[in-house]
Amino acid sequence: MTALAGELRKMPAFVRRDFLVAWSYRMSFASDLISLGVQAFVFAFISKMISTNELPTFQGEQVTYLEFAAIGIALGVFIHFGLERVAMAIRSEQLMGTLESLLVTPTRTATLQVGSVFFDLVYIPVQTALFLTAIALGFGLHLEAAGVLPATIVLLVFIPFVWGLGVLSAAATLTFRRGGNAVALGAVLLALASGLYFPVDLLPQWVSTGAELNPIALAVDGMRSALLGGAGWTETLPIVAKLAPLSAISLLIGILAFRLALQREQRLGTLGLY
Amino acid sequence: MTGGSSSESLGTAVFARELTRRFGRKLALDDVRFEVRPGELHALLGPNGAGKTTLIRILLGLLQPTGGSVELLGRNVRRHAAELRRLVGFVPSGDRSFYLRISGLENLVFFARLQGMRRREAKARSLEVLEHVGLAEAAGERVGAYSHGMQKRLSIARALLANPTVLLVDEATHDLDPEGAERVRNLVRLACSQGAAVVWATQRLEEIRGLAERVTLLHRGRVEFAGGVHELSALARPRDHVVRLANGRPSDAAVRAAAEAALRGRGRVAPVGGSDAGHYVLSLGENVVLGDALAALAAADIQVHSCRERRSEIEDAFRFLTEDAPS
Repeated sequence: MTALAGELRKMPAFVRRDFLVAWSYRMSFASDLISLGVQAFVFAFISKMISTNELPTFQGEQVTYLEFAAIGIALGVFIHFGLERVAMAIRSEQLMGTLESLLVTPTRTATLQVGSVFFDLVYIPVQTALFLTAIALGFGLHLEAAGVLPATIVLLVFIPFVWGLGVLSAAATLTFRRGGNAVALGAVLLALASGLYFPVDLLPQWVSTGAELNPIALAVDGMRSALLGGAGWTETLPIVAKLAPLSAISLLIGILAFRLALQREQRLGTLGLY
Repeated sequence: MTGGSSSESLGTAVFARELTRRFGRKLALDDVRFEVRPGELHALLGPNGAGKTTLIRILLGLLQPTGGSVELLGRNVRRHAAELRRLVGFVPSGDRSFYLRISGLENLVFFARLQGMRRREAKARSLEVLEHVGLAEAAGERVGAYSHGMQKRLSIARALLANPTVLLVDEATHDLDPEGAERVRNLVRLACSQGAAVVWATQRLEEIRGLAERVTLLHRGRVEFAGGVHELSALARPRDHVVRLANGRPSDAAVRAAAEAALRGRGRVAPVGGSDAGHYVLSLGENVVLGDALAALAAADIQVHSCRERRSEIEDAFRFLTEDAPS
C-alpha cells in the first residue's frame, strides 16, 4: 500500500512536466480548439441538408444532425487524441532520448505508462467538454443538463478502453517501430462501425448487430441518450455494465502487451533504437 | 543469470562474473569479470565497440545478460532492480536525455520526484545540486538553450540527486572541451571522495591517469586487463625510440637512408618532424631488441648521440593489449 502511495505521489510530477511542455507550445492549444470549431461549422451546414427523419430518436426526442454529429465528433476527437497520445507517449520518450533516463529511476513501468498520459487523460476530456459547450452556445445545440453526469460516467468508463488500445498500440510501436499503426487502424475501423457520424442502422446488418459489442458504439449511444434524450441512471447503467468489462479487457491486454514488448526490448538490447 | 549474492561479491560495490551478452551472432561481452570497490573510481577502458556501454546497461538493469551474474551492493540486479535504482546514479553518454522545452530546474525536480522525493524536498535538492555543478544561474533556462557542457553537468546533477552509492558514467567527456571535461571529472572525483563507487567508461586514455585507481580494459567484449593504472603502464613494451643520429652526411634524408640500410629490416627510421633536425623515430621490428638495432647502426659508422623511449606508458599498453588480441 505504501509502495502504491509512493507511486501515486509521482503522478503530479508527470502532470506538471507535460503541462509545462504543452504550454511551451501555446499555439497547439489554440489550433486544437480552432480545428474543433471548424469541424462544428462544417457539420452545422451539413446538418441543414439532412432530414431529421433519417436520424434515430433518443428517449423519444428527435434530434438534428448537428446534435447527433456533435456528440460523435466529440467522442471521435477524444478517441483520436487519446489513442494517439497514449500510443506515442512512450515512443516520444524513446525519440527524445529520455526513456532510459526514466527507466533507471525507481519507478514502476506501470507508473511510467500512466504518468506519461495522465495529463492528456485530464486535458482531452476537458477539451471535449469545452467543444460541446462551445457548439451548444454557438449553434443552439440542445443538451439535457440532467444527462451531463450519466454521460460523464459513460465517458469515464470508456477511458480505459481507449487507454488500453493506446497502450497496445504503444507496445506494437515499441516492437515494430513505424509499423505499429495497425492498432490505430483497427480503432478507426471500430469507430467507422460505431455510428459516430451516421446512424448504425444505415450500415450493413452484420455491422449494426456487431455494434452491440462495439465499445465505441456503446459509449456514443450512451452519451447521446444522456445528453440529447436526458436518459437517467436506469437507461445508462446497463450501457455502463456492458462497457466496463470491455474496457477492463482492453486495458489488461494493453498493459500485458506493453510489459512483454518492454521485456523483449530489454532482452534484445534495442530499447534505445528508434 | 544466477540468484542472490555470492561470497565473492562481499565488500564490492559492483560485481559481475562470467558475464556474457550476445546480440544475435555477435558476442558483445564474453565471460567478463568486473569488480569495483566502495569509494573507488574505476575506469572501464576500451575502444569503440569494446562492450563498455553494454556492460553499463546491464549494470543498470536496462539490458539482460545472456549469461553470468551481476550484483550491485551485494544484491542481484535483476531481482532487486527497483531497490537498487534508488542507490545508483547514471550519466549517459548521449546529449538527449532531458526535456528540452522545460528548464533545467524543472527537469531535475521531475526526476527527483521520480526518486520518491516530495515536491518541496525535490526542489530544494535540485537547487542544491544545480549550485554544486555550477548551473544555479541557468536553473530557470530551458535545457534546449544549454550548451553541450552545461547539459553534461546537468546530467551529473541529475545522477547526484539521490546521493548515489554507485555512479555509472558513460563517456561523459568524449566531446567536451578540455576545460569542460576537467570540470566534469572534478565533479565525479568529488562524488567519489564522498563515498560513491564510480565506474567511468571511456576510450580516452589520457584521462585515466590521475583519475582512476584501477582500470578494466575491454576489447571485443573480453577483459584484456584488470588491475591498477600503474600496472597497466608497466605492461607497455616500448617499440618506438627517439634517436639523434649523425654520420657526416649533409642531409637528413641521406642519414635516414643509411640508417635504414644498416638496420637491415630490424626496424624503420622516420623523421621526428618539426625543427628537430637530426632526430628520428626508430621503430623496432618484431622481436628486435634495442641493443641489436643500436649495434647495427654503430657498425655502419652511424653515431647515436642520444636515445630515449618515445611515449610509452598506458598508450602503448592500450595498443599492445588491443592490437595484439586475437580477433
